[in-house]
Amino acid sequence: MTGRGPFARRPARPGVEPFSAAVTGIGLVTAAGVGAEAAWRGVCDPAVAPSVENPPELDGLPCDFMYTVTGVDPKAVLGVAAQRLMDRFSQLAVIAAREAVADAGLDPAVWDSGRVGVVIGSAHGGLPFYDEQHTTLTERGARRVSPKLAPLSVVNGAASSVAMDLGVHGPSQAVSTACSSGTVAIGTAHQMLRTGACDIVVAGGAESVRSRLLIASACQMRAVSTRRDDPQAACRPFDTHRDGFVVGEGAGLLVLERPEHARARGATVRARVAGYGASSDAHSAVAPDPDGLGIERALRTALADAGIDALDVGHVNAHGTSTVANDLIEAVMLRRVLGEHPLVTSTKAMTGHTLGAAGGIESALTVLALQHQLVPPTANLDAPDPAIPVEVVSKEARRAPFDCAVKTSLGFGGHNAALVLTRA
Amino acid sequence: MSTSEEISALLVTRFGTDPLDIRPEVPLRQLRLDSLALEELRLLIEERMDVDLEDVVLSSRDTVGRLVAAVCAKAGA
Repeated sequence: MTGRGPFARRPARPGVEPFSAAVTGIGLVTAAGVGAEAAWRGVCDPAVAPSVENPPELDGLPCDFMYTVTGVDPKAVLGVAAQRLMDRFSQLAVIAAREAVADAGLDPAVWDSGRVGVVIGSAHGGLPFYDEQHTTLTERGARRVSPKLAPLSVVNGAASSVAMDLGVHGPSQAVSTACSSGTVAIGTAHQMLRTGACDIVVAGGAESVRSRLLIASACQMRAVSTRRDDPQAACRPFDTHRDGFVVGEGAGLLVLERPEHARARGATVRARVAGYGASSDAHSAVAPDPDGLGIERALRTALADAGIDALDVGHVNAHGTSTVANDLIEAVMLRRVLGEHPLVTSTKAMTGHTLGAAGGIESALTVLALQHQLVPPTANLDAPDPAIPVEVVSKEARRAPFDCAVKTSLGFGGHNAALVLTRA
Repeated sequence: MSTSEEISALLVTRFGTDPLDIRPEVPLRQLRLDSLALEELRLLIEERMDVDLEDVVLSSRDTVGRLVAAVCAKAGA
């Protein structure tokens, strides 16, 4: 048993009872696989490599590759009429949402649509369309610019597209806290269910940034890997030779329900979201707090919200971006807060860093880890950094019994978030 | 390809319109073209047929036939 085993929950604060949202459905669209089953197989099987692409938009840049979603054609799945009103991040979100809702056994034709909400995080929204249309403006003039720029590029495009596709009439919104957006979205959904604002919330993240403008800037920032000769091994969290993150695209969504709602309809509960915490570094536009104090605060808040002791946490799906700074700061913080026993992984080596989608994708993978009692390996971890003071699973998935898991996320601007998830 | 055929092709390929629904007497709104879609269609026709439709007033109440006539008038101008 990693973690102490059967755990007892205590009130988060005097008079405040712990609240757990039931996770009844998941949807995953990633470079490691499309569909929850394929994505899970992709992150667990060392023989599977992420889908790498060299988009023409990135020609000539120091980093000219991305981990991209293949094997699904949004136009074929969504139809021309619906697909033309979505930028790619929204298309991926709708595909993931349909999977998650079907997985939950929900039928949008009969649910009480006013009691259903949508919260989807994204860092950059429809930036690729923005970039493309700016080129059109400068090269061909104002009269050639698409009238669809505003509705397609807004960060809430994924949330509104999912709401329209599913016929959701409760609250729908985007959250945008850079690379913690997906985690904050699930935390926000947890709060909406706790207050009784909704019975069901579809929550997570979506991102696709095939944008020369953005990737050029990321190269200038020296935040991305330039391992062009071996792109599938470029993302190597916690490895001595890590040199930056690899941009990925994808979507990861959960169907969260009030526990009594899930129980009343006899839903299969995959896992539970038991606690949420968020914090701000108030330190830097890009760098995490050097002592990890911000993410520590978020994690301690999430543990307190769940009423769960650090010793009960058996697994962490870390932010683990493969940048020199993040991985060390995060690992030192995890050791300080949780101790040395949890099995840590970063699945970004297989999905890429999907920015605002990361928290959604990785929370869904954490749900699957709890269900399967299996921790996916951190791919490409060939030479573990000796300064990393936690046990990172590498090479092969590790089977281990655990009842509690943690998902951590850090975003540019110092937006930290953490979730505590438990077995059903 | 005639103007009517060019517009029909755009409606089918870019807006997912059923070709059987595209008839001269059918209002554009019946083809689910809202104000945003009309402006997008205007741009696509301009690009494809090299015409300037900037001063053509279009609404979703107009029919397919009225749109084709307006484009023909501009193309012949």
